[in-house]
Amino acid sequence: MTATLPEEKRRLLPARLSRPARPARTARAAPPPAQGAPAVLSTCFAMVALICLWTAAQLLVLGGLAHERTQDLLYREFRTQLAGATAPIGPVVPVGDPVAVLTVPRLGLQEVVVEGTASGDTLAGPGHLRNTALPGQEGTSVLMGRAATYGGPFGDLAALSPGDRFTVVVAQGTVRFTVIGVRHAGDPLPAPREPGRARLTLVTAEGAGRLSALTPDTALFVDAETKKALAAPPGLPAVVPDSELTMATDPAAIPLLTLYLALLLALTLGVVAARQRWSAALVWVVAAPVALALSWQTTDVVMRLLPNLI
Amino acid sequence: MTRRTARATAAALVGLLLAVSMTTLAGAAPAETGNAPGGVDKDGYSATRALTRVFTNPDGSTYEFPPNTVTVTADHTQDLRGRQRITIGWSGAQPSAGRASNPYGENGLQQEYPVVILQCRGTDDPALPVAEQLSPSTCWTASVAQRSQIARGDAEAAWVHDLDAPVEAKARLFGVAPFPGADLCPGADADPYFTHLTPYAAHNGTVFPACNAVQMPPEAAVGAAFPPNEVAAFTDLDGTGAVQFEIRSEVENESLGCSDQVACSIVVVPINGLSCDQPAEPATIADEACRRGGRFEPGSSNFANQGVDQAVSPVLWWSASNWKNRFSIPITMGLPPDTCDVLDPRPPTGFYGSELLAQAALQWSPSYCLDKKRFKFQLNQMSDDAGFSLMESGGGPAAVVSSEHKTEGADPVGYAPTAVTGFAVGYVIDRPDNAGEYGQLRLNARLIAKLLTQSYLGSDLGRGHPGIAGNPLAIMNDPEFIELNPGLSLITQEAGATVLSLSNSSDVMDQLTDYLAHDKTAMEWIDGKPDQWGMKVNPAYKKIKLPRPEWPLLDEFVPQTENVCRQENPAVYFTQLAAPVTTMRKIAEALLDAWPNVQTRCEFDQSTQLYKLGRIDRQSFGARFMLGLISLGDAQRYGLRAAALETAKGEYVAPSDGSLKAAVALSEQKKETGPFVLDQATVRREAGAYPGTMVVYTAALLRNLAQEDADKIAQFVEVSTTEGQEQGTGNGELPAGFVPILEQGPTKKLYQAAQDVAAAIKAQTPAPSEAPSPDGPATPTPVIPDVDPDDLGGAGTPTTDTPAAPTPTDEPTAKPTDKQTDKQPDKKADRSTDGATTPAVDAAPMPPTQAVSSGLAGGLLPGLLLLGLFGMAIASVLRLLARGGGRP
Repeated sequence: MTATLPEEKRRLLPARLSRPARPARTARAAPPPAQGAPAVLSTCFAMVALICLWTAAQLLVLGGLAHERTQDLLYREFRTQLAGATAPIGPVVPVGDPVAVLTVPRLGLQEVVVEGTASGDTLAGPGHLRNTALPGQEGTSVLMGRAATYGGPFGDLAALSPGDRFTVVVAQGTVRFTVIGVRHAGDPLPAPREPGRARLTLVTAEGAGRLSALTPDTALFVDAETKKALAAPPGLPAVVPDSELTMATDPAAIPLLTLYLALLLALTLGVVAARQRWSAALVWVVAAPVALALSWQTTDVVMRLLPNLI
Repeated sequence: MTRRTARATAAALVGLLLAVSMTTLAGAAPAETGNAPGGVDKDGYSATRALTRVFTNPDGSTYEFPPNTVTVTADHTQDLRGRQRITIGWSGAQPSAGRASNPYGENGLQQEYPVVILQCRGTDDPALPVAEQLSPSTCWTASVAQRSQIARGDAEAAWVHDLDAPVEAKARLFGVAPFPGADLCPGADADPYFTHLTPYAAHNGTVFPACNAVQMPPEAAVGAAFPPNEVAAFTDLDGTGAVQFEIRSEVENESLGCSDQVACSIVVVPINGLSCDQPAEPATIADEACRRGGRFEPGSSNFANQGVDQAVSPVLWWSASNWKNRFSIPITMGLPPDTCDVLDPRPPTGFYGSELLAQAALQWSPSYCLDKKRFKFQLNQMSDDAGFSLMESGGGPAAVVSSEHKTEGADPVGYAPTAVTGFAVGYVIDRPDNAGEYGQLRLNARLIAKLLTQSYLGSDLGRGHPGIAGNPLAIMNDPEFIELNPGLSLITQEAGATVLSLSNSSDVMDQLTDYLAHDKTAMEWIDGKPDQWGMKVNPAYKKIKLPRPEWPLLDEFVPQTENVCRQENPAVYFTQLAAPVTTMRKIAEALLDAWPNVQTRCEFDQSTQLYKLGRIDRQSFGARFMLGLISLGDAQRYGLRAAALETAKGEYVAPSDGSLKAAVALSEQKKETGPFVLDQATVRREAGAYPGTMVVYTAALLRNLAQEDADKIAQFVEVSTTEGQEQGTGNGELPAGFVPILEQGPTKKLYQAAQDVAAAIKAQTPAPSEAPSPDGPATPTPVIPDVDPDDLGGAGTPTTDTPAAPTPTDEPTAKPTDKQTDKQPDKKADRSTDGATTPAVDAAPMPPTQAVSSGLAGGLLPGLLLLGLFGMAIASVLRLLARGGGRP
């Protein structure tokens, strides 16, 4: 008995030492890894393609989904506020809160308008320029909406023509606007508003040429007016930050973007580390949703660095 | 013709007086305007009288001391305003003894032979009704001890043997009839002690018996808002003396109630010693008390606040033999600041901007609102920048500024010179050993830079500051300052580490920092080169860009200390020291009260059980040291001293008529209807020009201004540069601290420019439809008669480089504007109806929409898609290649 113990030990030791053979087995099962400069280049280009296509997909498809979902939530919130008579009437409303519902029957458009026109705000829907009266209140109100991305709610605005009617529901009631005209760059400005009227200017971007739907690069204005104006509360702010002007970008998003990129990097390193221990399938089952969510968030932040009307 | 000569003579006289008062301010001998009895001038006072002390001998004969022939003068007596300080001087008085360190209020009681100066309601004219005459009971004192003697023993009741007092006044109890009982005045009636009350008759008719602190008017409460103004001033050994006496109007002291309706006087009582009646045989203690002549040597000090001989002390100023020695100086008060609001129901036309004009506006505005042919002028003080942009946006008809400001809109702006004044580094500094105030402060640019950059440590708390631990604690310890101003106390005070300045944007700060920027040594020091004593600039301010209109608070040092209060309230120490304020008026009042705005007081509040920070106490008289940035108008009104600033090497120039005029002569107008520019580099070459000289302009649009407003502004400029430049204290006249703009002399060019700009404002000529605007900004928008291009381009955003929202014309700047001018529901409509030649709104062609585009916006999506597809293709190809290469 006592003599067999070392024997067993000796037998056990080689068995343990042979364990490193397992990675070799998995390596054998995997396709032989590509080698050399072409492989590195190929991976690089694949990454570029992945990033570009992901972003494009989010702008055109996934963003639309997000926009629909946000609109649903905002509509529910604003409906409750209207019923409870707690909807905001200005002059200062927290950024991102719903302030109006815009319905354009001609375009089949119904959108909840949010406060603020920075590129981060217009992701949710058309934004209201904060230093103007709310739509329908005496004065001139400005709404800015995206033309192509994140649902592109204002993409068909150019199809409106003078005389078209649309309605806006705000806390004080429903206002019917009549379109005065569609203005492209260089068209004359409309005549000054007469006192007692409310004017609404819808702003979006338009492109030119064959790919006009994908290249919205110039601001487009639709002016509408109503004779029946609601009372406007005094005390509007005189200026808004530069990031809320027409075609403006919001460089304040850069720190946040840095954070998200760092998180993505951390995820990558985590995946690499996890691949050492667990099988690829397991790792990707866990990491894929995280990667998707992070990429989605990162792209949303990137959007803030881009013009607010596209 | 004769009228003109008379006016010229008057102006010359007033000018002379002003010059004299300015020299007084600069610390020279007290103003002696003349020795003739009665007023030498409408706005001054001088009177002489022989004062004698008389003792009655036991046999009934009298012994007269040699008389003191006292002359009392005052420099201003007409149209005085609240808190204004006037200089009262005297000569020939009995030299004072046992001087107190603080002669004001009850602190000044323990002195011998002082000169008591009080402000009293009423005038000394027997012809007037009794209610309008002054008496001891209408003279203001801030404490009971100064008016009433309660339950005094024989040795402290000298007044009962006053030779001149009527018999009833020598009774044991006297003052108020019937004498108040123990319910009102407990302890006053205590046999055998003597009590004399000097009641106070308030303006509203209430009589306060003044037997204890409760029975005093509310303004005399302990810790009242204003420190006492009555003073027991001391006379030097040569019999002369001078003091700046602060006037209180009904705004500051309602019980005293001096106003333009209620006549008042300043009563000067040189204490010459009581005259005594026939003594008893043998003389009683009270008889001896009356005959005492003082226990201190003339000229000595009484720092320990020891008791003095009552018969020669200021406590008995009311007693008959002192009171009959009084000089009563009748004064008149100017119209109160709210005159226009009360008397003129018309809406005011507000001019917005510089505080430098404040004192002039105070005197000018009644001459507008009380004249139905003129408009109601109102100066609304705000930062020059804010006033200017308000004017440009149409929110106010005109701005009051003192330098050129950037024009945002397309309409040209005219600058009409309106007044010549300036700023000063005001100070209140006491010389050590009770030697009076210091009057020749000299500062150079580097010292001011050291103060502004918070490079003095303030106290030991600042010693931990990284980088500058070796710096002096305060300016009084700085060898550079000591060299310039020898003989001052070296005891550090926190207030000596800072100059109280403005927290908001101002042309004054701009010019002050421009003065620093043109000083080579100051700039080298700011850029990091230590001075010859090793003092370094605070790293937080190193290489700060100058000039700048707003001085930032950049330091972030929070001291580490064992003090519990400071641990509970961690704060940036140097910011607490600097604590800038928003108006120069506040700085002037802080200097007047010698109350620095240093916020380092840290104490435990029993009621809330919390530690809290606050403003330090008023500085004690005799140890005052404070610097502050003030306007010359305030300096003159409040009698504040102004430091001389270095110009050429070793030359120090104080503000005066001459030095301001010399600076005006150096200033140049760069373009027509523009402002004059005073180049500090030139000032530094010339010896005699004051660097703080500033011209205040009325700035208004020369185009697209409603004609009604344009007429008002033109009228204001014309009136203020003609009759508004006559120096004096009356309505519509130019107060002290301003140099008149005249048709002749160095101010001729200003006068000419003012008339030209007034004409241009009134005309509103340049018709933009005929010629494109010569100096329009870079907006591609053509100028259309009834549309303000300002609204089309930079719609409400101060930045011009960002593409602006090209929203319709009344938007969005028009909205705030509507509210500011609330009579105009729509600015555009209003302007078009005001302009006589402009066509109707509907007929006007509208300017085109500006293109706002972004290449990034257009190229983004196609770019992404292309790049993505391209990358995918390349990657696939490469992969295939790599695999193909690896197979054989």
